Amino acid sequence: MRRLIVVCLAAVVVTLTGSPASAQDVESLRREVEALRKQLQSVTERLQAMEARPAPPLPLPAAPAAPVAAPAPLAQAPAPTTTESSAPAPTLGDYARPHQPFSLAERRGPGQLLFDIGLSADLVANLTQRNVEQAQGGTFAGQENRFFPRAIELGLFGQIDPYARGVVRFEAGETVEDGERGFHVEVSEAHLTLLTLPFGTQLKLGRMLNRFGMLNQIHEDDLPQTDRPNVLARFLGAEGLNENGAELTWVAPLPVYLEALLGVFTGDNEAAFGRGSLRAPLLTARLRTFFELDEVSAIQLGISAAHGETPEEHRNTLTGVDLKYKLVPEGWRHPLLTLAGEALFANRKVDVTGDSDGDGIDDLRGTTTRKRWGWYAYAELQPWQRWAFGFRYDWTQYPTAPGSEWAVEPYVTFKPSDFLRFRLAYKHTERTHRVTGPDDRGSARVVDEILLQATFLLGAHPTDAF
Amino acid sequence: MLRALTLLLALALGLPVNTAAADRIRVVATINDHRLLVEAVGGDLVEVDVLARPAQNPDDLEVRPSHMAKVRRADLLVINGLDVDAWVEAVVVGANNPRVVPGAAGRVDVSRGIPVLEVPTTKVDRSMGDVHPAGNPHYYLDPGLTPLTTGTILEALARVAPQHRATFEANRQAFLARVDAALAGWQRELSRFRGAPVVVYHKEWAYLLSRFEIRQVDTVEDRPGIPPSPGHLVQLIRRMRDERIKAILVSAWNDRRTAERVAAETGARVVLLAHGAGALKGTDTYFDFFDYNVKALIRALE
Repeated sequence: MRRLIVVCLAAVVVTLTGSPASAQDVESLRREVEALRKQLQSVTERLQAMEARPAPPLPLPAAPAAPVAAPAPLAQAPAPTTTESSAPAPTLGDYARPHQPFSLAERRGPGQLLFDIGLSADLVANLTQRNVEQAQGGTFAGQENRFFPRAIELGLFGQIDPYARGVVRFEAGETVEDGERGFHVEVSEAHLTLLTLPFGTQLKLGRMLNRFGMLNQIHEDDLPQTDRPNVLARFLGAEGLNENGAELTWVAPLPVYLEALLGVFTGDNEAAFGRGSLRAPLLTARLRTFFELDEVSAIQLGISAAHGETPEEHRNTLTGVDLKYKLVPEGWRHPLLTLAGEALFANRKVDVTGDSDGDGIDDLRGTTTRKRWGWYAYAELQPWQRWAFGFRYDWTQYPTAPGSEWAVEPYVTFKPSDFLRFRLAYKHTERTHRVTGPDDRGSARVVDEILLQATFLLGAHPTDAF
Repeated sequence: MLRALTLLLALALGLPVNTAAADRIRVVATINDHRLLVEAVGGDLVEVDVLARPAQNPDDLEVRPSHMAKVRRADLLVINGLDVDAWVEAVVVGANNPRVVPGAAGRVDVSRGIPVLEVPTTKVDRSMGDVHPAGNPHYYLDPGLTPLTTGTILEALARVAPQHRATFEANRQAFLARVDAALAGWQRELSRFRGAPVVVYHKEWAYLLSRFEIRQVDTVEDRPGIPPSPGHLVQLIRRMRDERIKAILVSAWNDRRTAERVAAETGARVVLLAHGAGALKGTDTYFDFFDYNVKALIRALE
């Protein structure tokens, strides 16, 4: 039968070429037929071996002292291990049809999903002094001395069609507003990216975490520390820049990576750019490059800018620089050392108020320009795949109010697997000014906090980049 | 026009420019094994770059902008598939190169048409460790699959540069003739070990072992990617003693100390195999790579 197939294949090839075969052509065809014959033989042998064996059990979760299910013996036969024994034997027609013989997609049949689904849960606990809790002056204002779900994210992502890719993320978490605790659910991201534009450009449209600086685009569960650095929380708000609009990127066709980005957004950020109208849009720009310094180390550099109007309709311009360095020894699966830092500079008009007529009520006395800045840097050492130790220093002025604050945060991270992570951090913050809570309760000039974090992933998770 | 502008820009920035390579088909492969196959089929007509360095584990590569820079200029992207290089999607999104986006002509998944091993037949979840739901992705460790993989690569190259199809085919046939001869030799050398049992640290050698009819009877890690439990190691040691298993196969990133401990208890040898071409010294070419692994298996089983 096999010989018959080979002859048929040869006949088809000869018919399709349709030209008189020279001796060279015949030799070429002979080789081709021989190669096809070997392929067919290889596949047939494997199929026979697969069918000859019952399907082995998959490895079970280990139970202490329980016998471990052995992987399938490769056999009495040249055959592979786990396979489907219940599948019907392929027919000649099956061989003739173009298909992927054993792919998961085929097995799933029409029920398969055409996109990926992933869920991440980020749970945080905060322990601090009583006065800090009363003043609501901790890292998570209003959630001091609580264990709470900070961000539960359901992400759907995949290819929309040959031209575009889509991402939708729903986020839920505990919030505190005006002293009232609640649970919010929102669409944190919903955007599409046009992948096939000319000249090395891409357009991203929708609601997104802006690519401004290094950490703004990173979700809570992927942050290198439990909390965002104070400088980012002060200048961009606790949620960061999460805007509606469009980003156009261009990647230079060069041996080194160089990416330029321009963005236009509505401006819905209450801390920095809150006009909420395209008549006074938030404009962003970013330039990013990357160098492999040698076989084991690499550095990324970026500069960013954002310009828009505050909710008070005053102009605000933010510029930032960021840097990240990683040392990954040859053959390691994780970096040994990560160094990173970011600085932000703000140039912002603010209202000047004061009690000019002595009636006890502040009056608007004009505007002035505030030039403020802040920065953070961290180092992380990961000597083992599952353990990392880090330290972050953070200093920032307040964007509009006088004064500044600094913080140090040593932390340790333990990852039992790529899908589960625990982190323990101690954070010490000192401010130049006392922070008081509602009704002037408490004081939070010096804050000591223990931060605990547990993060897990279910399903698919987008690949983390450098 | 765009290439000319790029050239000018590169010169202005003082970047190295290889004008001779400008006319060749730029191919980027996710792993080094496919780079060698593309070079074998493409010959002088291709310039091939690779994303995962040979010593790296392609399964958990960290995506870097330098990968995006390589893919940005690629005419063809060659991926292994079966989830081992799923990170390539992040590279493609950051590369802004419409020639290699999903569904484009300049992209090929070499696993298409491969008889995939160890495809789970029941529901899998992560309590089973880092399982590959689409099956074992390490088919590039089987030299017997070269006719299939080079065939897929040939079709992809011919899609990008149809005028060179005949050259690609001639290159492929010449390469396959060499593989045929070498494979016959490897099979002859290993034939006396047919049916011999081995233990592997991680289930990555299924294709290699099945080609040479060597039995994989157990694994050091009881679940892929998760360190073995003491209970499992006790069971494994008992089994290896009972069945007189002589060898534990490991790759560079496996926990050698655990494997050595098991070997010390059982009198077996720990054998370091190359997990890919170029992964170890002396495995840079396609043939050196398989030669190395065959010789290592012989040493282990003798």
